[in-house]
Amino acid sequence: MADLKKLNEKIWNFFASVDLAVALFIIISIGAAIGTVIPQQSDPEATIRFFSRFMSLNSSMKLYEIVNLFDLNNVYHSWWFTFLLFMFALNLTVCSIDRLPILLKSFKTSPQALLPEVLEKMPLKRELNLSANSKDLAQKLMAVLKDKGFSIFTFAYSDGVQIQCKKWIKTRLAVYLTHLSIFIILVGALIGTFLGLRGSMNIVEGTSSNLAISDDGKAIPLPFEVRCDKFEVEFYENSAMPKAYRSYIKIIENGQPVTIEGKDRFIIEVNEPFAYKGITFYQATYGFQPAEHAEFRFTYFDTSNKEYRISANFEKSFQIPGTSVRASVIDFSPALGMDEQGRFFNMSSEMINPAVLVQFEYNGKKSEQWILAKIPETWQTPFGKLKFDELWGAQFTGLQLRRDPGVPLIYAGSILMCIGLFITLFLRPVSYFVMVRDNKITFYHPSGKGIIMREKEIDKIIQKIQKEA
Amino acid sequence: MSYHIISIAGLLYVLAMPVYIVYVLTKNNKLGYLATATLSAGCLIHIYGFIQRFKEMYAINHSFMRSIPITNLYESLVFFVLCLVIGYLFIEWKYKNRSFGVIVSILVGIIIGLTDLLGISKEVQPLVPALKSNWLLAHVTLSFISYAAFALSFITALLHVIMVSENKKSFKYIFSTSVLSIMVFIFISMIIDIATASNPRSVRIFHSTLGNQSMFISVLSWIFLVALVFIFWKFGDFITKTLKGLKINSDFLEDITYKGIAFGFPIFTIGGLVFGAIWADQAWGRYWGWDPKETWSLITWFVYAFYLHAKFIKGWRGVKTSMIAVSGFLITIFTYLGVNLFLSGLHSYGSM
Repeated sequence: MADLKKLNEKIWNFFASVDLAVALFIIISIGAAIGTVIPQQSDPEATIRFFSRFMSLNSSMKLYEIVNLFDLNNVYHSWWFTFLLFMFALNLTVCSIDRLPILLKSFKTSPQALLPEVLEKMPLKRELNLSANSKDLAQKLMAVLKDKGFSIFTFAYSDGVQIQCKKWIKTRLAVYLTHLSIFIILVGALIGTFLGLRGSMNIVEGTSSNLAISDDGKAIPLPFEVRCDKFEVEFYENSAMPKAYRSYIKIIENGQPVTIEGKDRFIIEVNEPFAYKGITFYQATYGFQPAEHAEFRFTYFDTSNKEYRISANFEKSFQIPGTSVRASVIDFSPALGMDEQGRFFNMSSEMINPAVLVQFEYNGKKSEQWILAKIPETWQTPFGKLKFDELWGAQFTGLQLRRDPGVPLIYAGSILMCIGLFITLFLRPVSYFVMVRDNKITFYHPSGKGIIMREKEIDKIIQKIQKEA
Repeated sequence: MSYHIISIAGLLYVLAMPVYIVYVLTKNNKLGYLATATLSAGCLIHIYGFIQRFKEMYAINHSFMRSIPITNLYESLVFFVLCLVIGYLFIEWKYKNRSFGVIVSILVGIIIGLTDLLGISKEVQPLVPALKSNWLLAHVTLSFISYAAFALSFITALLHVIMVSENKKSFKYIFSTSVLSIMVFIFISMIIDIATASNPRSVRIFHSTLGNQSMFISVLSWIFLVALVFIFWKFGDFITKTLKGLKINSDFLEDITYKGIAFGFPIFTIGGLVFGAIWADQAWGRYWGWDPKETWSLITWFVYAFYLHAKFIKGWRGVKTSMIAVSGFLITIFTYLGVNLFLSGLHSYGSM
């Protein structure tokens, strides 16, 4: 029985120890660092190719076997990393349960007078002589200390008074607030992992979908449909630098578009997510993927400057309003550029400078012209002003979506952590021991930490007493 | 343009270094004032340049919260320097002590040199969509303020280790004198790099020394580096003596190291980790994703948590804790620059 108790105690002490905490700091750090160097969650071939940049192919393959064995290509989800995080949480909890009661008890026990020999051994000592008797001096000193927010305990000696003063002692509790906050954050992460949902969906302009794909490739059916009306990349003027990625979406539930605050069309941008029924959508990616319904949209201005909207499919001819001219789009370039010889070429697959090559047919004669959406000079054709507005239905928006019931805990934990750390590190407990004998005051400070600040504070207290004396 | 103004500030920072050295050697108070004046003048010009750059950004972005110039690698390096200099001047003023100004000016000189030698763009750029958030201000400024606090604690910790180590064969002593001498070497090399550059746009770091095209100069530079490391190792007690002559004791250095970390750690936690997580949550839909930058921030956080636990719970004192502070900053540097240079990730502002 005694042995079992001893063993229990040993295990408890192991989990309560700071040594374990420090060891975990180091091991978790090393593990996490490995994960930033070795490619994570990529296929074996890519990983081996990565290694072969530093060593021979043969040893790369051997290294991959080791990596695979220890899940080093998936560190953050591996059993051992999860185990380490679990140990971290356990250590934190046990350590707090172990130490908190002792601290709470120390608040309740009243302080005891210390022997002069003990005081003499303290790392900080300051002495000053004043011409006043000790009783007056002690009173004045206590008044100054009280003014500074200290709580004071006095002990009478045969030849004087010992004063112990303390301030912000309870701030020691804040460390446990910090520990608790980390625990809360880990619980929040756990909830998110098991009860949450993460996935992505790509929707082509003009289509809708109610299926998302989870990160591990499973289909997630949604209780509503998401329709992408339009996706656009806005660029800074005269620049290939993107200004905004923007999806215009509709939520369709039971065949009806959902209206929120009078709107049924919602905008998702990077940094501007959209949430519906607990699921939040984020703008993540986009791409070029012409659908069958893709259409080129034009505005035609006739001689009286009347506007006509025209939509046309690729290579399908359309009539220029009010004329017998037929036109058709025979080429498209998302980023039309001109080289030094004046030849056209495509600069990029991004829609930086979209342009269409339009073929006109009039009286059996054919002519061609490039029309650029951003260059008004190119809209002028022999048959009137034809403005190219956009190519619609050729891009998809990539939305990230997630539902995470753990997030409130993460936020709460984060706030608690900040409060805890600020109290712990900015409001350190202060205690002084003062002996007042005859007309001599001696200050002692029990710790060498922050000694310069303490010296300054003692100097200030001394100045105040001298002023009043 | 604002970066011309900031270059002048950088020049003053570099010029402050020899003045600090002469002050430390002669202990002439007038020179001390001159050193501080040089650094302060640099700082004032820097602040002026910062405001100018803010105006240039505001002209493009039209938003106060999103016009703070901390949006690319150049701006962040420059902002880091500003925090570092202000922090150091504050310590100088508060403790009436300018004993480690030499090393601060070396570190500042290195960082300013990097803005010229990493081949990064100094132009004002409009914000990419990912940075268009009000969290930019809170997350990035607080992160760099904490980095600057860690940098100051690194300097005092390094001096502390050199000062306290009695045994020249101990790893701690060899390590810290080497770090110091390598910093000095980089500083000198960068000055030569920039001074000898024919085309400022194509200069690369160490092009005039270690990586010189001429084999002879390259080898000579390596020999010089090794010699420098040896000299610092051999004459480390000279540094100790000089510091003692300036009435610096090891307690003072330890105390400043602690203060730097005690100030930097909560700022880093709230600004770097918590605000970063909130921003990531809003922009990418996840508060934590083991992105290299996030991971290395966590590692940095663990190292300083280690420092605090070692100091408060385990009661470590002296060289041991200072060594943690030194390695903490080396990891911070990796988190800041190394991750952008060597690992890929989502914090692409540092990409070249």
